[in-house]
Amino acid sequence: MHPILARGERFALYLALWTIGGALLAALLASEGGLSLGAAAAVAFPLAIAYAFVCFSAWYVSRSTPIATSGLGRLVTTSLGASLLTSAAWLLLARGWTTMLDRVWRISVPFERIAAVLFGFGLLLYLLSLAVSYIIAAFEQARDAERRQLQAQVLSREAELRTLRAQIDPHFLFNSLHSISALTGVDPAGARRMTVQLGDFLRESLALGSAERIPLARELALAAKYLEVERVRLGDRLQVSIVEADAGDCLVPPLVLQPIVENAVTHGVAHVLAGGLVAVTASCTPEWLKLIIENPADPDRPRRTGTGLGLANVRARLQAVFGDTASIHWAEQDGTWRVEVSLPADRSPGPRG
Amino acid sequence: MTDEQTLRVVIVDDEPLARAVIVEYLQAHPGVEVVAECGNGFEAVKAVTELSPHLMFLDVQMPKLDGFEVLELLGRSIPVVFTTAYDQYALRAFEVHAVDYLLKPFDEARFGEALARARARISVEEPVPVDELIADARPRQGAVERVLIRDGSQVHVLPVDRIDYVEAQDDYVCFKADGREYLKDQTMAAVEASLDPQRFVRIHRSYLLNIDRIARVELYAKDSRVAILRDNRRLPVSRAGYARLAKLL
Repeated sequence: MHPILARGERFALYLALWTIGGALLAALLASEGGLSLGAAAAVAFPLAIAYAFVCFSAWYVSRSTPIATSGLGRLVTTSLGASLLTSAAWLLLARGWTTMLDRVWRISVPFERIAAVLFGFGLLLYLLSLAVSYIIAAFEQARDAERRQLQAQVLSREAELRTLRAQIDPHFLFNSLHSISALTGVDPAGARRMTVQLGDFLRESLALGSAERIPLARELALAAKYLEVERVRLGDRLQVSIVEADAGDCLVPPLVLQPIVENAVTHGVAHVLAGGLVAVTASCTPEWLKLIIENPADPDRPRRTGTGLGLANVRARLQAVFGDTASIHWAEQDGTWRVEVSLPADRSPGPRG
Repeated sequence: MTDEQTLRVVIVDDEPLARAVIVEYLQAHPGVEVVAECGNGFEAVKAVTELSPHLMFLDVQMPKLDGFEVLELLGRSIPVVFTTAYDQYALRAFEVHAVDYLLKPFDEARFGEALARARARISVEEPVPVDELIADARPRQGAVERVLIRDGSQVHVLPVDRIDYVEAQDDYVCFKADGREYLKDQTMAAVEASLDPQRFVRIHRSYLLNIDRIARVELYAKDSRVAILRDNRRLPVSRAGYARLAKLL
C-alpha cells in the first residue's frame, strides 16, 4: 500500500500541498506565459491536482530501484527517464485541457507559450516526488530494522530464560538439598563437599547462560560437575565417562550439552534398577564437531515420557543459532538411548560476545 | 496395635541417602523398628507381603515402579507416608488416603508430625481398601501404558502392547502375553476401563482383545463369529462384540 494513501489525513495534506503547487504554477504561467490571472488559475489548478495522482507512481518507481541495491547510474537514468516520461504525458494532458478550455468556456490559452514552463514544472515536481519517496522508504526501513532488532532481542532473552529455567530444575535442587541434609548426619565432610559442588555447578551454569559462545571444554566441565552431584544422590547406580578428543577449544552455544546429560540421568539411568553408564564423547573434524551421549534406558517405559522437553528445547536452540547446518538425532536401541549432535566446528580464537 | 507394641516400619527410596535420613530421624523415636529398607518398588512389594509392617515411608519417583504403583500392587491398605521432592503429587497422595506426605528436604520436627499422625491413624482406624481408591483416581490419568501384576511377592510389569488378549476366569482375569499367562485379581470391567479403548475391544463377555493381533474374523454359524489371531488362536466374537469391533476397524 502506498504510504500516503494508507491514512486519510496524509492524503488530505498531500492534496493541500499540491493546491499550493497549483497556485505557484498559476503565478508562473501568469508572469512567464503572459496569461491573465483567471486563465492561469483555470489551467494550473486542475492540472496540478491531476498531476498529484500521477506522482503517486514515483513511490513505485522508488521501490523498484532501491538506493541500497541499485548503482548510481541506474538510479539517475531511472529517475530522469521516469520524470521525462510523466511530464511529457502531463504536457499532453495540458494540451487537451487548454483545447477544451478554449472550445467549451471560450478561454483562449496560447499553449505554445506555456509549454516550456509546464514541462519544466512537471519534470521538477516529479523529481521532487521521487526524492520524497526515497526519504519515506528510508524512514520505513529504519523503523522496520529497529522493530526486527527488538524482536530478536526479546526472542533471545526468552530463550535464555527458558534454558535457565530448564537448567536449574527445582527438583534437582530439592533432591540435592535432601542429600546434603542426609550427609550432615552421617558424613559432615561429604555434606560440605556436596554443598561446594552444588554451588560451583549453579554459579557456572548461571555464568554460561549469558555468553554467546563458549569453548566446549567449559560445557564438558559443567556436565562433569552436574554428574558429580547426581552421583552423590544415586550412588553406585550412576557411572560416568567423558571422553574428549581434540575438541575442547571448539566454540558452542552454552548449555547445549547440559540438558542432554540431564536427560540421560533423569529419564535414563534413574529409571533402570541397576543404573548404568552415562557416556559423553566429543570429537572434532576440521568441519564438524560431534557430540554423542549414551545411557541405558528402561525399554518398558512409555515412549512419550522418555524424551522429555529437554531434547526438543536443544533442537529448537540449534535451529535458531545454526539454521539447518546443525543437527540432533536421538534413538533407542537394545536398551541404550543415544543422542548425537553435529555442529559446524568453530575454532575462532577467543569466545565471541 | 497398642502403645507397648513396636511400630514396624518399611522405608522405600531408591536413594540410599534419602533412606539414611529417615533411619536417622527414627532413632529419636523409641518403639519403632525398621524391618526393611528397600531400594525399589519390587523390593517394597516383597517386603510388605512377607513382613506385614505397620507403616511404610514411600518415595514416589523410583525406577520401574513408582510409589503409587507399589500401592496399587499391594492392593490393600498399609498406612503410607509419601516422601517426594515433587509437590504436584500431593493431591494424588490424598486421593490414595496417604497418612501424610513429606516434601524433601524435610526436618526432624516435620518428620515427627508425620509419624505421630501415622500412629494416631493406626491406633483408631480400620484400613481403607486402597485398590478402590486407586481405581477412582485412574480415569483422570487416561489409559494405562502397562499392567502391573503381583504374583505372591513377585511383580510383573506388562507393557500393554505385549498383551495379546485378556480372558475372564471366575474371580480373576488372565492376561495372555509373550506366550505366557498372568493372573490378576481384578474384574473384566475394571481392566476394560483401564486400557485404551482404541486398542482393546471387548469382543465377547469373556474376552478383551488387542486389535493389533487380529488376522481376520470369520462367520462360523448364524450370528456367531470367530476372531482368528495372527498366531492362529481362535476367540469367540459375540454379536455386540462384532459391532464394537466393526466400528474400530
